[in-house]
Amino acid sequence: MKRLRALNHKAHLIEQAATEGHREEVQLMSSVVGCTTTFDPGWEVDAFGGLASLCQPMEADLYGCTDPCWWPAQLADSLNTARDWTDGKNSALRDWRELQTLFPGD
Amino acid sequence: MRMLPIKKARAALVVLCCAAASLPAFAKEYLLTVTRPNNLHVVDPEKREVIRTIVLPGDGIPGAISVPKDGKVAYVLTNRMESVVGVDLDTGKPVFRADFSTPQRRVKGFFAVTVSEDGKELYAHQAPVQLGRSEYQVEDTYIAVFDTADGLNAKPRRTFPAPRRISLLAPTGNPDHVIALGWDMYLFNTKSGKIEKTFPIRHWERPGMGEPDVLAMWGTYEQARMLSTPYFVAKTDVPTDSPEAFKAGIAMFDLDAETLQVREFENATTVMFSSVINPARRNEAFLVMNQLSKVDTDSGKLLKRVDLPQTFYAINISGDGKEVYVGGALDKVSIHDAETLEKKGEITMPGGADQSIGWMRVVKR
Repeated sequence: MKRLRALNHKAHLIEQAATEGHREEVQLMSSVVGCTTTFDPGWEVDAFGGLASLCQPMEADLYGCTDPCWWPAQLADSLNTARDWTDGKNSALRDWRELQTLFPGD
Repeated sequence: MRMLPIKKARAALVVLCCAAASLPAFAKEYLLTVTRPNNLHVVDPEKREVIRTIVLPGDGIPGAISVPKDGKVAYVLTNRMESVVGVDLDTGKPVFRADFSTPQRRVKGFFAVTVSEDGKELYAHQAPVQLGRSEYQVEDTYIAVFDTADGLNAKPRRTFPAPRRISLLAPTGNPDHVIALGWDMYLFNTKSGKIEKTFPIRHWERPGMGEPDVLAMWGTYEQARMLSTPYFVAKTDVPTDSPEAFKAGIAMFDLDAETLQVREFENATTVMFSSVINPARRNEAFLVMNQLSKVDTDSGKLLKRVDLPQTFYAINISGDGKEVYVGGALDKVSIHDAETLEKKGEITMPGGADQSIGWMRVVKR
């Protein structure tokens, strides 16, 4: 932490939790579900450092990840902030070309 | 409520009604699954076809499905995990709806929804957040209990505190009990709201074993009355570069005996998302993702594994234990021989719509 300095309110709260002995409250989940709770690697590599256990084809996993907001950095959060991202595009395999990139403010 | 004009819908309705009228001697099994945008499908696995599609009211995306023992009403978690809708499987009409959220308070239920076996109460694990002007205030989680007779604007009759991270609920053989799967398994008394027993999973403290990693998003237990999930665990007593360093296992909760069994069956070499126990041979488990695997849970041995043409998230099995169904993710339900794991059939969802995170349940009518 020597090179990291808290700048905003939330970062100060995290720092405070560590200094006040509440570090244990910040943990990885063993039952992983929901926005920003997962530290899994993305689609680039599987749990074994290979590709065989990535979902196949990747479109099979596209809506399976956006629907429970699995990787909110890589995918639209269709649970909360981008609820209409897949409207009218009911097949990821067929319709993926019509999915739009999202920008802050969308 | 609008019914999709699917092929042979009228004939299918007759089939369903006739089957219902001839209970129990001619009880027949149907598969339930969901697709976007907000559809519930009734599948006849014998005929290898979708016999009915029910359009759920309101916003999607549908996910968890729960059905009481009589198989008459299906309760589906939908509306971005903020509502449960109950629909009569014979008429297709909505008979129940509970909206969790209000404009100032967003409440999500992450998969953990179940109806009691007698169909009278619905239990939903809820995670509420107050939506302030400049901040969100996370509130404590709880299980909300709904009376299914309360119709289309149901509110919780009572609530009781529950740990966070619960992703599955299931009624046990005791009508006052519900089992919840989260970091550990918690046996709730639904009348008192108290946790009567905790079955450790994350806190199992087994010598030489780390904390298991569980992805329990698919509730499947109706056939063998066993709630099961694959898990992965690091061994702490072998070098990290050893093939033994990570093990794959299956956790099985017997809903009637209310006992938990965990069993590792191989060095972890592939990912598995969900599992089901064979009701005809309860030592057999089937697990799925990119492969379909069959495991002997008595001996802890992998019996057979076949590659699948695509990823499937969800799994279920016929009541006679002869056919395994895999679904979820894309638009296919694939049917496999439970002995050889060979593919025997395939059903495509109407419009090629994706099942995504949807569950696949079996009802007997």
